[in-house]
Amino acid sequence: MIRVQLFATCLGDLLFPEAVADADTLLRAAGCEVEFPRDQTCCGQPAFNAGHHRAAVRLARQFARVFSPDIPIVAPSGSCAAMLTHRMPVHYDVWELSSFLDHLGAEPPARNDGLRLAYHSSCHLLRELGVDEAPRRLLERTGAELVPLNRPDLCCGFGGTFSVRHAEVSVAMADDKLANGGRADALVTADPGCLMHLQARAAKTGAVRVVHLATALARGAA
Amino acid sequence: MSFPVLDEHRLAATDAATLRLLNGRTNAWAELDDVEELRDRAHAIRMQAIDDLDGHRDRFVAALEAAGGTAHVCATAEEARATVTRICVDAEAKLAAKSKSMLSEEIELNSALEAAGIEVVETDLGEYILQLAGEHPVHIIAPAIEKTAGDVAVLLSAVDGAPVEPELEALAQAARRQLRRVFERADVGITGANFAVCDTGSICLVTNEGNGGLVTALPRVHVALLGLERLVPTLDDLSVLLQLLARSGTGQTLTTYTRLLTGPRRTGEEGGPEEMHVVIIDNGRTGLLRGRYKEMLACIRCGACLNVCPIYRKSGGGAYGPVYSGPMGAVLLPLLHGLEREPGLPHASSLCGACTAACPVKIPLHELLLDLRRDLVGEGLVSRTERFAFTAWSFLWSNPRLYRLSTRLARTFQPLGALAGPGRTWAKGRALPSLARRRYRDGR
Repeated sequence: MIRVQLFATCLGDLLFPEAVADADTLLRAAGCEVEFPRDQTCCGQPAFNAGHHRAAVRLARQFARVFSPDIPIVAPSGSCAAMLTHRMPVHYDVWELSSFLDHLGAEPPARNDGLRLAYHSSCHLLRELGVDEAPRRLLERTGAELVPLNRPDLCCGFGGTFSVRHAEVSVAMADDKLANGGRADALVTADPGCLMHLQARAAKTGAVRVVHLATALARGAA
Repeated sequence: MSFPVLDEHRLAATDAATLRLLNGRTNAWAELDDVEELRDRAHAIRMQAIDDLDGHRDRFVAALEAAGGTAHVCATAEEARATVTRICVDAEAKLAAKSKSMLSEEIELNSALEAAGIEVVETDLGEYILQLAGEHPVHIIAPAIEKTAGDVAVLLSAVDGAPVEPELEALAQAARRQLRRVFERADVGITGANFAVCDTGSICLVTNEGNGGLVTALPRVHVALLGLERLVPTLDDLSVLLQLLARSGTGQTLTTYTRLLTGPRRTGEEGGPEEMHVVIIDNGRTGLLRGRYKEMLACIRCGACLNVCPIYRKSGGGAYGPVYSGPMGAVLLPLLHGLEREPGLPHASSLCGACTAACPVKIPLHELLLDLRRDLVGEGLVSRTERFAFTAWSFLWSNPRLYRLSTRLARTFQPLGALAGPGRTWAKGRALPSLARRRYRDGR
């Protein structure tokens, strides 16, 4: 058994508890003993990215009180995993969920047979962690046919406080991404931030369904 | 200060052009044996000069003067404007022909020359179009990127009152005909300088139009504006940067013309200006020599970060101000002008990092934006409300019990979220995310 610490992330805990539960299921199925440190809150990225380093340090201290640097930490979020990898004063063994599952050679169940899925590469997973093949490979192992996105490198427009500071541009970026994914049965992303933003816009426009990668892998994206 | 989205017309033009340029770069980089190694070398060459700007400048000036050129070192835009104006007045110039120079835009040279009674004509096609339209450049290498062939036809037709077809060949012919008169009459030619080579005293001019050659060869006096940081130790170093500049800007292996100009016309030579002046301009650049910000001085102005930036693509260059734009502008302008004058620009990014990945000289652009945001907070340039919100939030969420309590309350008062503040802004065009009835931790 591989011991891992599950970091739900604040968005996962508060907005997408089912996706976190799916991540838990996938990790267990891949042979992990999953611990959930109960006092976890947030990695502090919202404050760090807005320039409020003192605030971010408070959250980093809380993170350090809760998580052990000696046991792998798995997060169903590319962005939080990138924050923990690159910005923390302590070195943690951090993995984004799909890269960890792929590393373990996980075989998720074939719940996406016949589905045409588009994968949105979230910016921080793609460019800060260099992970792009793992989530695609896993989706293909579940039987999905991957539909290529036009301009897969483009951001969905979330960007934390950016989504409010430059709301009009942010929404226009989301529209592009959603229109792009429109040919697929669902748009899949490994990041709760992108998921929140794209779902929020799709709810207004009736665009394509947007699903967290953990859910797509554990229960199917349909 | 929220960025707007361009109107449909400009959006379509910008989209098409940035995509063409960015695909050009991607393909051109892919043809290189080892683009990463080349980018690392280019970065090292740029930093070598930046780490000793005075030494490199002195070597360049000595070599330029040995070749018969004249150097003018200017600390400020004002000094630079006065220097160029004086050179033109001394030459009894009535007409100055310019090739493209973003530095001339930065120091607002045209209006100064016009105030001194000197007519100034832009001869780069894009800049000429903008001069006719009375607009500022919106892209550092494709200044009129938001204009379509139809827009340009209208502007060129108005010059002689003769209609010009909105086709590329016809437009180029018309502009060529109109500008020919300028080249023939100009007393002074004004250019920028992509690089200056310290060993030889040469300036390097990279262009895709013949105007750069005409401006430097026909008028009696040539004035080149050089950003203090654009120094390159040797010709070999220059060749490394040239391998990346055009590939990153337009996708070309080299631009149509790459000129090395070393001093004025020598005895016995038939072409070239009688005087060559290089105006070396600081205008805030040495202020970047602190911490990681000095990396920004490595910029070779290729435009790759603009083409790949999703915010630039939606808002266009005008949103950033009249001269520099895109990620390089968002980093450079606050550093040149002071954060207090540009407090919005560090936030004109979703931190997607596409700019950093596209930068041929490996400037960590989005990291520098993060540094600038940190400095905004450190220098007290954010609102009290924002500071209070992050402080309060961080205290609550660094305590697990208060995290649970605050998120429970947030769930209760969730329907109020769209009434004010960030929630209200978010809710224009987006549904407010709904907090789950049971948090993940509640189900464990």
